[in-house]
Amino acid sequence: MNATQPEPVLRAEGVCKDFRDGRDTISVLKGISLTLTPGEAVVLEGPSGSGKTTLLSILGCILTATSGEVFIKGQRVDASKPGRLAALRRDCIGFVFQQFNLFGALTAQENVEYAINLKGASGSRARKEAAKWIDRVGLAERRHFLPQDLSGGQKQRVAIARALAGPSRIILADEPTANLDFHTGRIVLELFRQLAKEHQRALLIVTHDPRVRPITDRTLFLKDGILTDATSEST
Amino acid sequence: MVDVALKILLHDRLRFIITVSGVAFAVTLVLVQVGLFLGLLDNASITIEKCNADLWVTSRNTANVDYGQPFPASYLQRVRSVPGVERADNLIIWFTRLNLPSGATELVITYGLEDFTRWNLPWVASGGNVQDLRRGNFVFFDQSARKRYGQFKAGDYREFLGRRMKIIGETKDVLSFTTTPIAFMDFHVLQSLDPLELFDRTVYILIKLAPGADVGQVQAQIRRRLPYNDVHTRSTWARRSRNYWLTTTGLGLSMFVTVFLGCLVGVVVVAQSLYTSTMEHFKEFAMVKAMGGGNPDVYYILVKQAVIAALVGFAIGAAQAAAARPAVTGLGLKMIVPGWFFLVVFAGTILMCLGASLVSYRRIAKAEPALVFRG
Repeated sequence: MNATQPEPVLRAEGVCKDFRDGRDTISVLKGISLTLTPGEAVVLEGPSGSGKTTLLSILGCILTATSGEVFIKGQRVDASKPGRLAALRRDCIGFVFQQFNLFGALTAQENVEYAINLKGASGSRARKEAAKWIDRVGLAERRHFLPQDLSGGQKQRVAIARALAGPSRIILADEPTANLDFHTGRIVLELFRQLAKEHQRALLIVTHDPRVRPITDRTLFLKDGILTDATSEST
Repeated sequence: MVDVALKILLHDRLRFIITVSGVAFAVTLVLVQVGLFLGLLDNASITIEKCNADLWVTSRNTANVDYGQPFPASYLQRVRSVPGVERADNLIIWFTRLNLPSGATELVITYGLEDFTRWNLPWVASGGNVQDLRRGNFVFFDQSARKRYGQFKAGDYREFLGRRMKIIGETKDVLSFTTTPIAFMDFHVLQSLDPLELFDRTVYILIKLAPGADVGQVQAQIRRRLPYNDVHTRSTWARRSRNYWLTTTGLGLSMFVTVFLGCLVGVVVVAQSLYTSTMEHFKEFAMVKAMGGGNPDVYYILVKQAVIAALVGFAIGAAQAAAARPAVTGLGLKMIVPGWFFLVVFAGTILMCLGASLVSYRRIAKAEPALVFRG
């Protein structure tokens, strides 16, 4: 490891993932290796069915790899038990999804506050932090709105605030702009990138959206289970 | 801490109302039905409880206080001679036929005693003196008889088995399990009304023990002297009278079935409602897991929802049952809900709702956090 480079917050070495389909075994990921450092934004592109979401699930401690190693903050996590994986998700990882996945019965601020509650903080401390993040994503006027009363872009801002709130150092985003129009998507992405950089969060965005490349530091391309660095293609 | 459980419940108000209505229905049904039944059971033994006799001599295998069979009145002398007996008197409780001014005929349960006040029967009387019953063809009716016999007042006459009897007062809350009205008259007058059955006979012997007398010993002595009769203490006789209606008639089973069905309706409504809600929020619960929450975090939400539904449903159900009480009283019935039963229903409601949410727990346990990636 280069002494001048920051310590990677996430590292994957030779990750493979196989799924069984009857008697057949389908290899979705074939020896994936990658690193994410704090403040870095990486975009992961690839055709549908190339294994992007599977890789995101493994890096997010939701699925386990068939083989290979995953390290979060230097600790190997790929062989961890489900309880340990849940704890890692709680303490280290924030998610942003295409479908937002907000709680329909909670207001914008409560959605963020509940995520903070799950991470161990409660009471006025959690409320203040949730309010701060809602302010940061520009929804101060709509903090008490239910998701059903927010636009797609506003919902995604709430989801971003929820992912960034708390101690999570790694933010994994799955098609965060897929449900947003061009203009809104661009604003949301820029905000996302700015906040992640500002708060030294490592950001991995899985997307088909060409608007994402320019705001990221690196571009990875996944095809047929093999990951290549496509940064040079985008520059 | 954000109260996700309450927020989800209140977010879908219609479903919450349906859930709570199911619980309230079950609670009201159980409280009113069992309250009415306990009221009737109380009637079944109220005269035994209120009468200050320590022991009751009955004919062999008498099932309950209303259905006694006559035996020789002279047995009273044998009882009085038992050491430890301070006082003993004959008591007749007998169904007689009453002719109403309308021409209709009704049954009445008639109590015949020589000295009512000594035995605290009836325990609430008004409009006349119970001691006057000894003077001849006089009768006290219970107020509740108006529902069956129409209006009456002191000074009116009614025909008992063809004999004109003057009403000289009223009693209160002297009721029978079957709601047949109760009347009081002199022991010898009652004997003379039905001489074929009651001449020189009695139906019960009431016994007051001397201070310090051993109940068991006196009871055993009386049994030796009256080998073809039964001797009960007040509590065993009251219990026997109540149990007759509970077990022999099938009313207890009927009550159990009603209560069971009420609870079943409550469980089904709550289970269906909570399960539907759980399925609608399934992805949100998967999201809780994706954010690092575990099954306990989701179970906590479900448990809290079940408990909230139980508390609100119980409060509404109990209020409805309380509101039904005046209507029940207006029908001449009693509704008795003892404190312990109220607590049992409360605990039962909580358990019912928690049980109803079990199906949801099983489903949630299988929720994979990876579900959050699906569109």
